[in-house]
Amino acid sequence: MLEYALLAGLVFGLYFSLVGLGLNLVFGVMRIVNLAHGDFLMLGAFGAFWLFNLYHLNPIATVFIALAVFGALGVPLYYLLVPRLQRARDPEMLSIILFFGLSQVIEALATVGFGPSERSIPGRVLGSGPVHVLGQTFPAAWMVSAAASALAVLGVYFYLYRTRLGYLTRAVMVHREEALATGIDVHRVSAIAFGAGLALAAIAGVFAPFMLGSATPAMGVDLNIQSFAVIVIGSLGNPLGTVLGGILYGVSLMFMQTYFSSWANLLPYLLLILILLVRPSGLLGRQVRRA
Amino acid sequence: MFRKLVFALLAASFAAFAGGARAAAAPAEIKIGTLYASSGNFAAISMPVHYGLKLWVEQMNAEGGVYVKPFHKKIPIKLIAYDDQSNTATAATLYNQLITQDKVDILVADSGSPLTSVAVPIARDHKMLLIDQTGTGAAFFSKDNPYIVLMSDPVSSIWPKYVADFLTQEGPKLGIKRIALLYATNDFTGTQANAVRGFIRAAHAPVEIVYDQGVPTNTTSYTVIINNIRATNPDAVITLGFPNNDISYLRNLQDSGVKFKWQFAIYPGLETEHLEKTVGVKGLEYVYTYTPSSVLEYKAEFGMSLPQFRAAWDKKYGEGKVAFGFNSVAGYTTGLVLQKALAGTESMEQLALRKAIFALSGKLKTIDGTFELNDEGAQIGEITPLGQIVPDGKGGLKFVVVYPPAATTGKPVYPAK
Repeated sequence: MLEYALLAGLVFGLYFSLVGLGLNLVFGVMRIVNLAHGDFLMLGAFGAFWLFNLYHLNPIATVFIALAVFGALGVPLYYLLVPRLQRARDPEMLSIILFFGLSQVIEALATVGFGPSERSIPGRVLGSGPVHVLGQTFPAAWMVSAAASALAVLGVYFYLYRTRLGYLTRAVMVHREEALATGIDVHRVSAIAFGAGLALAAIAGVFAPFMLGSATPAMGVDLNIQSFAVIVIGSLGNPLGTVLGGILYGVSLMFMQTYFSSWANLLPYLLLILILLVRPSGLLGRQVRRA
Repeated sequence: MFRKLVFALLAASFAAFAGGARAAAAPAEIKIGTLYASSGNFAAISMPVHYGLKLWVEQMNAEGGVYVKPFHKKIPIKLIAYDDQSNTATAATLYNQLITQDKVDILVADSGSPLTSVAVPIARDHKMLLIDQTGTGAAFFSKDNPYIVLMSDPVSSIWPKYVADFLTQEGPKLGIKRIALLYATNDFTGTQANAVRGFIRAAHAPVEIVYDQGVPTNTTSYTVIINNIRATNPDAVITLGFPNNDISYLRNLQDSGVKFKWQFAIYPGLETEHLEKTVGVKGLEYVYTYTPSSVLEYKAEFGMSLPQFRAAWDKKYGEGKVAFGFNSVAGYTTGLVLQKALAGTESMEQLALRKAIFALSGKLKTIDGTFELNDEGAQIGEITPLGQIVPDGKGGLKFVVVYPPAATTGKPVYPAK
């Protein structure tokens, strides 16, 4: 049971790295809290559901569509919302209120459009039969989702550390005003990061029916809480710290389900409290400042 | 002659006054206040119930209203419904609003135990009779609270009786000795889990519970839990959850390649169409479940028959956003009970309404089965037989009732294929 919980936690944790990655990227670059993150994830899940049902499109193909559509959606949404927020005295607090409102609107529209019930995609679409790993068996869909999550994390790493745009993005993450003073087009960099954040949320959404059983218009709220736990554990503002946060969250969740299953939903809150008390900057907090 | 004339005039004016007073006392509408959850965790069980009730209201109003005995006439129904978004705090505020601001004549709870639980003390404090549609938590009912009646589902403390009876009486003959019990920790399924334990212990049968764990209602991942259950080597597994729990559990079970010899879950029976779409036909094969009134046709002595109700539902809600199932029947049944009660009540006082509803106990037979209450207002009729979902040979599924013996339509397949 112990080995299974550990391995399942690693797999699940990789997925949760992807769930939190976009949220942390947006916070790291813009210092705003996108409380609608979980709702964009939900839209990705419903997108995958409808594309599969209408055109039998494999969710792997939907990943690329989600990347393009939500990436493109993020840029105008950034210019519509974020620069106004950043002119305010307390953009972080205002962003919480604004994106909470946006979250409510998205959920309400999704409920009207899709209905309130759970929707799902058959697990066999991502591979039939269980997969054997180190003597344990896991659903094939889990392994594919975890692999896709790992690829997405590597993609973000490549973007941040191996591209010119990534260097500029990290410069903005370290100090927005200094980046502006050196002539970096901060809004352009931020808009692309915002689009990337939404795209990552939507990609996580594509795999949600496989990892979370189903998708509903209301799923965003729970996912926001879990995403926050993940990024606070890793370190707020450090996208790659999200991986550590995700894995720690995943493993802890599986151990909770094994030994204290009734209390498993307290885990995100317990971890948040623990990290904020012991190491408020997150496990990789120091690296944030160096970016 | 003059005195006779004066008397006749007085008598005529009194009669006119009395008639006028009676007409004035009859309200222009009967206000039924209720809540529904269009979004959130309980939307999937709330909307079908609400739509079922709405269908009854529209039918009544199309016929000129519902007959109300104290006024000897049909009166149109005004349904005042607010969206609680599955939030118990919002629901509490809205229940208060229905009672104190809207001053509804009849208070109907939202579907399911979590959203009914907040209404129970509010209704009691305001001395309003709570028409509890599907909130089956046993803690809602007590001898000292006359302000609640359960309409459409059996109370959770007796609902799983046939499941436990099957396992304790038929189980040992099949080789079932070890039972695993997994439940979501809420009033609905928590009470059912307690009931299962109680029935099994009381039976003194040669079976033991080898796994007994609760999980939060918002649990979406069961792969590790399934592995933990498998490690206890059970002969039968009972899982008690809401639709989101059952969907995730059954999908994880199928995807992880684990096959339990005997598997029970609630919602494959209660919301079969919905689970067929989300879990898939393969994932539901050989699962044991409650055989609900939306599948097993009871002879309705009042209201529409099952095929008639299904046709009316499809005509009105055919777009498929809200699935037809046990909960839609439950909402419609609530309407039927209210219709009968209003036709029999001596007044619109809350306790008179309660008395009228109790008078129907054991006598009212609808598409939901026999309506029967215990002293505390809990539903003890309408118990759903235990069924097994098996392939129908045409790529679909069918129900086989396996318990109680008087209702069986086939033999259980054990171990599951």
